[in-house]
Amino acid sequence: MSNTKPRIEYDLVLVGASPSNLTLAHTILGLAEKNPEFKFSIAILEKAHDFGGHIVSGAVVHPSIFTKAFPDHIKDGMPIEAICKKSYVSLMAYHEKWDIPSILTRAAAADFVKEGYYILTLSNVVAWMAENLKAKAAQVSNVKLDLFPGFPAMEIIYEGDKVAGLRVDRTGNDEDDIVYSKLTCFGDKGFLSKDLIKKYDLETNPQIWSVGVKETWQLAEDSENIEGKVWHTLGYPTLDGTLGGGFIYGLKNRRVTIGLVISLDSSNPNIHPQKQLQEYKKHPWLQKMLKGAELMHYGAAVLPEGGYASLPKKFQVDGALILGDALGLLDVKALAGVDKAIESGYIAAKVAYEALKANDFSEAKLSKYQSSLMASPYMDKFKENRYFRKAFIENPELLRDYLPEVLSSIDQTKAPVLGGLKVGVQNPFKATKAFLRSASLLNNAKEIKEEVVYKPGYQHIDPNFNKVLMDRCHGGDDFAKTTVYSREDAVFYANTRYDEHPSHIDEFNSDTCLTCIKTYEAKSLDVPCVSDCTAEVHRLDISSGNIKVHAMSLENCVQCRTCELICPEQNLRVNPAYAGAGPDFKGL
Amino acid sequence: MNKDLDIYVLIKQVPDTRSKAGVNPDGTIDRAKAGKMLNPFDAFALQAGLNAKKMGGPNSRLFAVTMGPPPAIDILYQTLEHGADATCILSDRRLAASDTLATAYALCRTLEYLFKKNGRKADLIFCGLQTTDGDTAQVGPEISERLDFTQVTYCEDFSISDNLLHAKKIIEGGTQLVSAELPALVTIANSYTKLKFKSLRGAQFVQDVKRASKEEQAKYVEIIDLDKCEADEMRCGLNGSPTIVSKTWKIGVVGGNCKMHQGKAASELVSEVFKDAVMLKEFVKI
Repeated sequence: MSNTKPRIEYDLVLVGASPSNLTLAHTILGLAEKNPEFKFSIAILEKAHDFGGHIVSGAVVHPSIFTKAFPDHIKDGMPIEAICKKSYVSLMAYHEKWDIPSILTRAAAADFVKEGYYILTLSNVVAWMAENLKAKAAQVSNVKLDLFPGFPAMEIIYEGDKVAGLRVDRTGNDEDDIVYSKLTCFGDKGFLSKDLIKKYDLETNPQIWSVGVKETWQLAEDSENIEGKVWHTLGYPTLDGTLGGGFIYGLKNRRVTIGLVISLDSSNPNIHPQKQLQEYKKHPWLQKMLKGAELMHYGAAVLPEGGYASLPKKFQVDGALILGDALGLLDVKALAGVDKAIESGYIAAKVAYEALKANDFSEAKLSKYQSSLMASPYMDKFKENRYFRKAFIENPELLRDYLPEVLSSIDQTKAPVLGGLKVGVQNPFKATKAFLRSASLLNNAKEIKEEVVYKPGYQHIDPNFNKVLMDRCHGGDDFAKTTVYSREDAVFYANTRYDEHPSHIDEFNSDTCLTCIKTYEAKSLDVPCVSDCTAEVHRLDISSGNIKVHAMSLENCVQCRTCELICPEQNLRVNPAYAGAGPDFKGL
Repeated sequence: MNKDLDIYVLIKQVPDTRSKAGVNPDGTIDRAKAGKMLNPFDAFALQAGLNAKKMGGPNSRLFAVTMGPPPAIDILYQTLEHGADATCILSDRRLAASDTLATAYALCRTLEYLFKKNGRKADLIFCGLQTTDGDTAQVGPEISERLDFTQVTYCEDFSISDNLLHAKKIIEGGTQLVSAELPALVTIANSYTKLKFKSLRGAQFVQDVKRASKEEQAKYVEIIDLDKCEADEMRCGLNGSPTIVSKTWKIGVVGGNCKMHQGKAASELVSEVFKDAVMLKEFVKI
């Protein structure tokens, strides 16, 4: 290497090897292939040690998006776990489970019908996308594609009002630490894109986040074959009034993935996501499924749930585009985000290619990205489902009061009918109103034009939360010990690996933590960051003077960012860790 | 300011300690099946080499050398990512089944070839303490004998001044401070500084090299065989190895019966363990 050090520069820099960004890279290589005279360079920055290592997602995805963006995906061996043969929507009571008859699901909740969809382990798909990309780049000699796994983007570098690059390392020499780019594409899960959205004041509504915890199990040899079966469940164990639900996907080779998604705009200060997942598995139906099974992987991640109402004002600024999860393209009603994330990458590729050719990266030039994405057929449903969260936020009694009533009737009579009637009889006016209002928000979005106003999740947390509601999240004691893992044990299955002394979570002010601890201790509650951590990171230590202080075991961190989002004082920030440290979610 | 130093790091690719290695019917490791990695002990030697390069003059150079089948080129690329200037691999089928004597001979010939090519002898050679697949810790010292270099083993820290290496080495029951004249061969203990993550520029540079022409690649990763380094094939591989593995066998079952106790409060777990483990009761008062 020469001694004079030029700046590290690329034409296009992608933040995060997400499905959206990898689709962008794949598509733009296809465009470049047709025009071999035009040369440019791409760098992909990824915080995980290996591609896919920090990706957690279900995922059940409609095949059409892969046919569009990766026409050869079958031939090229994209890993598909199963094709969904039968999908169920089920109400989970403490002891019983009631599958909503498919005729009803098709009529009233068609979004939940997933038959014919791909069941994917997204971490494996992302790893495949990266391999596929490398092979493709070797064929397209006019594009220089550099991959940087283990190098997280830590800070956005601006030149005037333009995004000019990213700080990737902290050696102290800017020339070694900064990657400069003409166009930067943010496909991260909010780690860095939140700074961009704040800087350019792009926020319309605060993003609402939920946390997903997930496990993959190897089932016993003599277990029932559930490959291709998909269950989405409502009810047990999330019965504290918080919006949440479970999912169970049957994978090939007798594996099953079990997960729980819980909204973080909950009033409950102690959600205990990992513990709730264990409660979920205590359900007799799952106990039967998991008889003799073995835990393979555990992981957690947050999901942007605000949907259409939380989309930023603009999807592009001078020198940058926002994609996928950074944009918040998850449609929580349809349980689909991967398709739109890939679509955003597919559309961004074309816009980025035009910008590269014109050497114009101004917001005006890039604005075609937003208009094209909004006009995409994949966004129609997204728009239609924009009142889903509003329906539950406006009518909290639906989940808090009426659902448990219906579930208890399932436990007693194996059907929801009596519970439904009881709710109707006891609250004739109020219940009817809530049902009609929410049904109207869910089904008549085309006719309704209403404003949606969200509060960030942490503002919902109530230190005076009713403990009776919390207690509802616990099931019986009749379960096999081998199916339930403590949070400490679960971390082992997330394969976290850190060098000595990780320091990726900032605590801004320790006095703020002291006040917060006092508030929750006084109510005999756990401090939110301690209870809701999905790994075993946040804890309280007793310092000299017998004072309880906030402390962290960062080497356990799975980098889900829940603590940052639920901290009532907004006193924490989770940064990507150095050197590819963190969990390894491959296969989850 | 110290003079410019020519530093060599000797490294080896070993079966990945995290992957399940296959075992051949004759008891040897099936290397083709196992995942591969840089010998973890050599990572400390590489960091030592990088640090030594900073201690030397501005035109100091760091070379990484290995011997092994072609896939071992991967670990040479790794050293380039970390900041090595050039690398060389000795790869030849005739080297198969080398013991430490034959390996040290072949590596010596490679080093002498490189000294000639680079215009001068090494000032410092760093080796890892041992490998995870051989565990002999012999090759480093054997090379220093052949090259007639000063030998410092078990080094856990060092500095360089006035053509002298000042090293802190581990000895039984303590540490020893030694000063040695250069050229020297140093084996680095695993209590030395851990290898830092590769640099961004290094990662970028290696991807450039991998895309470059074969000639350009050879500037950074040179592949040589026994003929190129003028080694006597009778002293290499099986021919040159007096060590004979007559038999390997298992020394009993490792692990035995292991029962997991989990999913209960600590106090319940402890009493559960004691209920099962009769033997424990003899040692612990309950």
